[in-house]
Amino acid sequence: MMEASDRALLERKVRKAFQVLVLQRGRNPGVKGWELKRYLGRDFRKIVEVLSEDVSALGLEVFEVKGADGTDDSSRFLLRFKESPTISEAETSGIRIDDLAVLAATIAFINSKQGRVGRREVEHFLREKFPKWRVEYSLDRYIKRGYLEMDDRSMLHVGWRTRAEVDEKTLMTMILSRAQEPAKK
Amino acid sequence: MESKRLEDILRVIELCRDVENSSANPFDVDIKDKIRLLRERLPEWRFLDELLLDSEALLELAQIVKLQDEWLKHRASSLYIDPLLIQLKVKLLPKEALSEAFVKSWHPVAQVDQLSPRGLEKAFVYWRDLTPMAERFKDEFGSYGVRPGLVDYAELVSLGVFTQDQFEDKLVALHDELLQKSGGEWIDYRKFIESQDFETKVLRAYLLSFLISEGRASLKTEPLTGKIWTIPLSEKSKGLPKSVAISITGET
Repeated sequence: MMEASDRALLERKVRKAFQVLVLQRGRNPGVKGWELKRYLGRDFRKIVEVLSEDVSALGLEVFEVKGADGTDDSSRFLLRFKESPTISEAETSGIRIDDLAVLAATIAFINSKQGRVGRREVEHFLREKFPKWRVEYSLDRYIKRGYLEMDDRSMLHVGWRTRAEVDEKTLMTMILSRAQEPAKK
Repeated sequence: MESKRLEDILRVIELCRDVENSSANPFDVDIKDKIRLLRERLPEWRFLDELLLDSEALLELAQIVKLQDEWLKHRASSLYIDPLLIQLKVKLLPKEALSEAFVKSWHPVAQVDQLSPRGLEKAFVYWRDLTPMAERFKDEFGSYGVRPGLVDYAELVSLGVFTQDQFEDKLVALHDELLQKSGGEWIDYRKFIESQDFETKVLRAYLLSFLISEGRASLKTEPLTGKIWTIPLSEKSKGLPKSVAISITGET
């Protein structure tokens, strides 16, 4: 049985974890594992689990994006929607359908090319379906926002934000399973 | 023969770079074969440049091994699908279907991006303590805080850009002086340009050189004695001009 003081401490730490996760600190959302450790102590994972359960009633969850070395410190933790939004909800957030289609096609193309593909090749691929200006504008925008990454050889990779927000397996399955529909003009 | 050996190494580097800069299959590079080639060639290298090229080729091969590792991981991640199939699907699907597929696999990040009272306070303190631009780099580059403005005529004169007397007036005055002092005869050039201060002496020499160039005066030199003579001309000289170098010193 948890004592009242322990419960109060846990609640305080969960509140703190929520505040830390929900407030954007730097340029990118979310908090690194080492930061959470500093705010919440060594057992921060347990606090995060409790928080994730608490926020699930609001349709949110705490999601972990593994860092390059796979350690707790390098992982990025963030709050995200548990369920996907509807198309109309996505549209009301100011994102154009065309932009989402460019991103979907780019992620699928990169994944089909073993996770890395030259930007020119992506542009060439997308230009069959989208105007040149939209392709360049969207790619630049998604690189800036972390959905895509471009290395010094101009090779595009899937960015950390895609790993955080997009269930890539579902995306690929959905693209493949969709029956061909007549293109709308 | 030697260039052929170097060419082999350069070809290895080029092949690796081509694979790195494209989405080509990194397993297309036969690492074992290339390493064997490098090992065979290694004892033949004598110069630093050759050894550097050899190490560069080895580095590129290491990059390919890294790519092979990533390629295998990706292929095992179940995200791998035949690229042609994906390209075909993406081409056939309308934009709406693509965006719907994305939205259905999307879990947007929830975050609050707004000003807090603490943030505002920090911003205020930063602004309050911020040194003005004119002062910020004063120690390093000196003061450059003077705004652009107008420079009047008097200031230009003091800077020496303009003189009070027009240049042509000075030329006419010097020509008259030369006419008067020479009486139409050759006179000593150095005596004529002599003045109390060195600056005026140089200025007189400078103006006289203009008169000579314009043909309103002439100059002759005596190579044996080193003497220089000048004479005013009433009519402009029509002969071919010649250049004469004359050094002006502070001595009289």
